[in-house]
Amino acid sequence: MRKPFLERLGHAWLFCDGATGTVLQAKGLKGGELPETWNLTRKDDVYDLYCGYLKAGSDIINANTFGANLLKYPDPGYLEACITSAIEIAKKARADCGREDAYITIDIGPTGKLLEPLGDLPFEKAVSLFGQVAEIGEKAGADLVLIETMNDLYEAKAAVLGAKEHCSLPVCITTTYDQSGKLLTGASVEAVVACMEGLRVDAVGVNCSLGPREMLPIVKRLVAAASVPVIVNPNAGLPRTEDGKTVYDVTPKEFASCMSEIADLGIQAAGGCCGTTPDFIREMIAAIRQKPFREQTKKEKTVVTSFSQAVEIGEKPVIIGERINPTGKKKFKEALRNGDISYILQEGLKEEDQGAHILDVNVGLPEIDEPSMMETVVKRLQGVTGLPLQIDTTNKEALERAMRCYNGKPMINSVNGKKESMDMVFPLVKKYGGVLVGLCLDEGGIPETAEGRLAVAKKIYEAADSWGIPRKDIVIDGLAMTISSDPKGALATLGTLRGVRDLFHGHSILGVSNISFGLPARELINANFLTMAIESGLSCAIINPGNEAMMRAYYASCALLSMDENCAAFIDRYRDYKPGSTQTAAPGTAKEGSSSNPAAKDLSLKESVIRGVKEAAAAAAEKELQTRDGLAIINEDLIPALDVVGQGFEKKTLFLPQLLMSADAAKAAFAVIREAMKGTPQKIKAKVILATVKGDIHDIGKNIVKVMMENYGYDVIDLGRDVDPKVITDTALRENVPLVGLSALMTTTVVNMEATIKLLHEKKPDTKIVVGGAVMTQEYADAIGADCYAKDAMETVRYADSLFDN
Amino acid sequence: MNAAELSVEFREICRYLGYRGTAPTPEVAEKISLCLSNLQKASVLSETHVVLPLESPEENVLVAGEMEIHSKNLYKNMRGCHACCLFAATIGIGCDRLIARAELTSMADAAIYQAAGAALIEAWCDVVNQEIIKEAKEKGLHARPRFSPGYGDFALTHQRDFEKILQMAKHCGIHLTDTLLMMPSKSVTAIIGLSETDTPCILQGCETCDHASTCSFRR
Repeated sequence: MRKPFLERLGHAWLFCDGATGTVLQAKGLKGGELPETWNLTRKDDVYDLYCGYLKAGSDIINANTFGANLLKYPDPGYLEACITSAIEIAKKARADCGREDAYITIDIGPTGKLLEPLGDLPFEKAVSLFGQVAEIGEKAGADLVLIETMNDLYEAKAAVLGAKEHCSLPVCITTTYDQSGKLLTGASVEAVVACMEGLRVDAVGVNCSLGPREMLPIVKRLVAAASVPVIVNPNAGLPRTEDGKTVYDVTPKEFASCMSEIADLGIQAAGGCCGTTPDFIREMIAAIRQKPFREQTKKEKTVVTSFSQAVEIGEKPVIIGERINPTGKKKFKEALRNGDISYILQEGLKEEDQGAHILDVNVGLPEIDEPSMMETVVKRLQGVTGLPLQIDTTNKEALERAMRCYNGKPMINSVNGKKESMDMVFPLVKKYGGVLVGLCLDEGGIPETAEGRLAVAKKIYEAADSWGIPRKDIVIDGLAMTISSDPKGALATLGTLRGVRDLFHGHSILGVSNISFGLPARELINANFLTMAIESGLSCAIINPGNEAMMRAYYASCALLSMDENCAAFIDRYRDYKPGSTQTAAPGTAKEGSSSNPAAKDLSLKESVIRGVKEAAAAAAEKELQTRDGLAIINEDLIPALDVVGQGFEKKTLFLPQLLMSADAAKAAFAVIREAMKGTPQKIKAKVILATVKGDIHDIGKNIVKVMMENYGYDVIDLGRDVDPKVITDTALRENVPLVGLSALMTTTVVNMEATIKLLHEKKPDTKIVVGGAVMTQEYADAIGADCYAKDAMETVRYADSLFDN
Repeated sequence: MNAAELSVEFREICRYLGYRGTAPTPEVAEKISLCLSNLQKASVLSETHVVLPLESPEENVLVAGEMEIHSKNLYKNMRGCHACCLFAATIGIGCDRLIARAELTSMADAAIYQAAGAALIEAWCDVVNQEIIKEAKEKGLHARPRFSPGYGDFALTHQRDFEKILQMAKHCGIHLTDTLLMMPSKSVTAIIGLSETDTPCILQGCETCDHASTCSFRR
């Protein structure tokens, strides 16, 4: 009789089946025909498919449900019938073949859509699509969920969450890598394993795309990274087309011999994918069955990931950028209040360029909606940086929303030894995964001694044990308390770090700069403390990577403590070090705007804008402000400079890159001047809405217009891309906006532009509408009722000026 | 093939940036080289193609596998062809990520990535196209210029057919939005006619396109 699946998985060889699609194609399935319809129309063929694998010895057979979801089968009744029938037929085949020991999966493949923000499928929609399939599968009697052929980490996460939230079956997942060991959207093997284990899947693995030979290096990495059982289902070689058909070159014998090598690497389950047939599986099983079986070993690596990369905590201290945090930062608070997400993202990108490995994200302000801000910032940040994030909040809803939408395995800041805190945070970590920062404080406050703090750490570790969260996913915060109020504060902290390392063999973290609060020359204390902390075992330093004193301490400590092989990182960074200098450019940061021309520094404001040198423009604006009034600088220098460039662009003596370099330079100068003019009312020509219409997800053209319009004195409300007509109209009404700019890239989205114009005309007839975009023409614009067609950003500015600049 | 090995003409990038008969300033030229090098590091080239029989049941109608096309322009391009090759190619999602990032730090860089991405995917398509020509030659067939959905009167809705026939999402990671946009955005689908006789002088590219008079990127 059949053992519960989890009692067999990982304890003895399990053999999966082979291809479904290519076998059905051989039986007559046409290219473009939906295979799952055969569960209702060609039941005998589907039955034969299953029987073939059961007789060949497969212990796990996949129901023919790979593409069954509401996107491909919009009628829910039909979808349910297809899935249910697939499993009914499989159960019959299992009984008829005398294989009651075998397991039937509800097989879940990708939706075929790319998730937001890269594509247009919302994450939660994907979760529910997958959830629905898993639910029907369980009801129909499947034994486990197998999610397979996933080539995007975010979609894989949606599938696992969907399955776990809608059914109680075991969940296994295999993903599809290219030859370099990456998913199509960039995730490495190690990142996938960490994220999936965080979501508590029962097995991970690889399938499709490659043959067994090409999969070998990937399987090695999988086995080295995974603590759960590993499943390997390759194709019968690399696909090749011949006479319009996809063919595979590996024979069953070759397949079996290569799978036998793979089995020796320490995997727990094996099968095949495209191009493999019952013959392949039979040969493979014969080659593997008698081999000694090895259970998977638990790996002790502490790993956080982004959508693409895994960052390991432990080998060498990592730098966590602390700048995405409103504490003590006026500008940052203002950005949070005004919803200026770009400012927040730019802070993060700066930290990345400065050398941070992970970014801490704290957006807590009493007067804002923190959960929704946290979700927005996390989603936007993970769209522009490949660094993992540390979600830093005490708000439960903010934490859960961020963990849910996070594309990877995040770091969580934090839990502490109080029961209330542990009861709130541990369940979330159990569900979504993450590396959790444990603060050494509890109901009794912050213990003064290292021993006291280690006792709290112990309590946190034990709580993690009771929740089934591995200890490797806990990082203990030794708490840096300022030495200005407690002279022994640093000693207690350093003692805690050593204790975590030596007693618990664990990892530690510190907000380093707290140590000097209230003292002058804080960076002197901070940098020296960082060195001591690293020597005492600090694993994660939360610092400002823009502070060169701290970065020097970091690189020097790593070199001194043999954490920087051949001092390579140190040499790379400080090769051109000059004694007495306070700044060192991090490698790779000398890019945007930094001109190779050394004379650029001495440019006047006007010249630096015309030549498009951002740093010089900001510096020149600072200099001018010492002697002149901000408004005068704008009117006499900035605007004339922009005009020179604008006219050059119109006359085609200079081109788009220069126009934009100048715009960026002017923007930097404006920012400096505005900061100085704070409190004085500033002249705004008009409010303008800019949006890329519904269905269009490319917005570079709109963003170019935005930067130009802002420089010319317009208050731009940027509604982003893929914007519903109603949102545009409602905003125009609410903010009483006299001009709306719409962009569309494709003929297929011009209809939505037309719908937006129609709605605007109806609800707010006095608002003017200017349109642009790759497919736009004057005729098109006239036909859909726009007031103006602008072929580029300058034309948009000129049109707006014709309305408002008097 | 590795994206770094792909040769991309500097001139082409300038063309996409709107330069006409003028060379960019040294500052801009330096930026373009830097962006191109970043882009090549971030790009992953992939493609998939399949050869299908081509039928023409009536004038201006073509049938390739499951795809039925009504198009005067394509019909003209395919005259005399009894087979065709469908292909999809992409430089991957890296370009889109670089653009999204640059939009926050430097719009000039964003525009350059956009142009360099366009030039890179064209260069990659040329390589794929050459390979298809070579494969066709081995079978004694001659290839016509490639023709993409959205070109002339070859309806964009055929992107759905390409998606199904080539299994683009699976084989090279190209996904369609509901509005038929391709993601990664630097992706191309096209059909190439294959005929037994060599027909030179078939116009290609901009010359046959309906937007030739208004397109700002016209060659």
